[in-house]
Amino acid sequence: MTNFLFGRYLPGNSWIHQMSPQSKLLLSFYFVIVIFFANNLVSYGVLALLIIVVILLSGVSITFFLKGIRPLIWLIIFTVGLQILFSSGGTILWQWGPFSITNLSLINGGFIFIRFLLIIMISTVLTLTTTPLAIADGVQTILKPLKRVHFPVDTLALMLSIALRFVPTLMDEMETILNAQRSRGVDFGSGSLTHRVKAAVPLLVPLFTGAINHAENLSTAMEARGFTDSEHRSKYRIYRWQLKDTLSWIVFLVAGGLVLYLRK
Amino acid sequence: MDKAISFNQVTHTYQANTPYAQNALDNISLEIPTNSFTAIIGHTGSGKSTLVQHINALLKPTQGSVTVYNRSITPTTTNKNLKELRRHVGMVFQFPEKQLFEETVIKDIMFGPKNYGMVDAEAEQAAIEAMKLVGLDKSFSEKSPFDLSGGQMRRVAIAGVLAMKPEVLILDEPTAGLDPRGHKEIMDLASYLHDHDHITIILVTHQMDDVVNYASEVVVMDKGKIVQTGTPAEVFADPKWVYRMQLNLPTSAEFAQQLIDAGVPIGQLPLTIDQLADRITELARKGENPDD
Repeated sequence: MTNFLFGRYLPGNSWIHQMSPQSKLLLSFYFVIVIFFANNLVSYGVLALLIIVVILLSGVSITFFLKGIRPLIWLIIFTVGLQILFSSGGTILWQWGPFSITNLSLINGGFIFIRFLLIIMISTVLTLTTTPLAIADGVQTILKPLKRVHFPVDTLALMLSIALRFVPTLMDEMETILNAQRSRGVDFGSGSLTHRVKAAVPLLVPLFTGAINHAENLSTAMEARGFTDSEHRSKYRIYRWQLKDTLSWIVFLVAGGLVLYLRK
Repeated sequence: MDKAISFNQVTHTYQANTPYAQNALDNISLEIPTNSFTAIIGHTGSGKSTLVQHINALLKPTQGSVTVYNRSITPTTTNKNLKELRRHVGMVFQFPEKQLFEETVIKDIMFGPKNYGMVDAEAEQAAIEAMKLVGLDKSFSEKSPFDLSGGQMRRVAIAGVLAMKPEVLILDEPTAGLDPRGHKEIMDLASYLHDHDHITIILVTHQMDDVVNYASEVVVMDKGKIVQTGTPAEVFADPKWVYRMQLNLPTSAEFAQQLIDAGVPIGQLPLTIDQLADRITELARKGENPDD
């Protein structure tokens, strides 16, 4: 768990750290779409090259980065394995009961592997270089047009930023409760399935009551500080579109065009 | 004296081998004698809580070893068979009321003892005794812990630890957020358990008055290292050093220090209010008979 990088933030001051969150979010989204257009080795090569440049620019050491996403590899291998064993079409190379491996399924499995890897890499770079609060602000900026159809964008953004703010707090609390119950003789994570489910009760009940207490206290404190509704507020953190964002978009658009040109 | 707990060159690093790595304990060697009342002090983030969590193997050393009642915990110790060790060591965490979860107070207090293998009748007996110890009336036993006040919840939580009949009791800032009366009651309880039931008490605190009033040994930590051990009198002997460690003097010593600065010859720094009063009466008597 301690080496797991997905969803964590690593403070820094690199090119990618300095980009505005809305453009980073949109770029990741755009990149994921481009990944699905790529369908041969050359086009994937372009994307892989791009992602390596992005990781280098983010200032995170490559070995550390790869180690951090390693736990997710098992999930990918599992999915790819299913894809290879169960898809049909092409020349059959090996068959046993319902399982078969064909040359097409091998190629498809390989592509799925690369796609997963690229998606995980870009989203890990995003979360590593952007604070949770900046992500919430980015989402708010991007969703702004939805206000036209009376979608409560500001409320959603508020909920998102509070939720993100409380993730580490609740994690800490979970750790403390876990330790407190351990020293009262609870054995987490061993024994039969029913035993394990039962052992979760002394953890979950305090965690939920704690969360409800937090919510009550926080809402009282917010009201006391003059919060009435989320629509009529000014903003303290303002992220402007910078030259860095424009340049990054140009690079990504060129890469996207290249992928479209190279695909078969 | 026997030693209940000994630390042998213990180093603990959080999230080792990552950019998040943080050294919380740095080569610590320490012995805590049986039946002692040890206070661990140091400013916030000096490693006090990390240190005490090693005593019941919630954390394991990155280097070195910890020995608790002849059971040794090393970096390679696995999570299996730690129950026996934890039964000896009761731990009251900061804000322990957060750990309550059962439907009734009595069930919550019985939870620990039952985990350590007591049958229901035994556990209930232990729970009733523990409730008496922390000063909770029997009428509370069928109430839901979530209906109680903050102070009462904390007592239930502490009773839940005491019902396991630990030989070592670790209290991590047990009085944080309590009113003065609740504060005194909890500290008196710790003192009673120490004197009467001969339980080894380890107290993590920021209250220097509690240190001088209750503790027999003091351990001072700074930046993950132990910088001083000794009796309260030894530790607080040098006020300048105490301030440099970002700690305070006990109230009486603080007041005496101001008297000394104003030219009153107090002599050795008094630590408790009784000692201060004695010193002042002595001086006053001398003033009446300057020839003495």
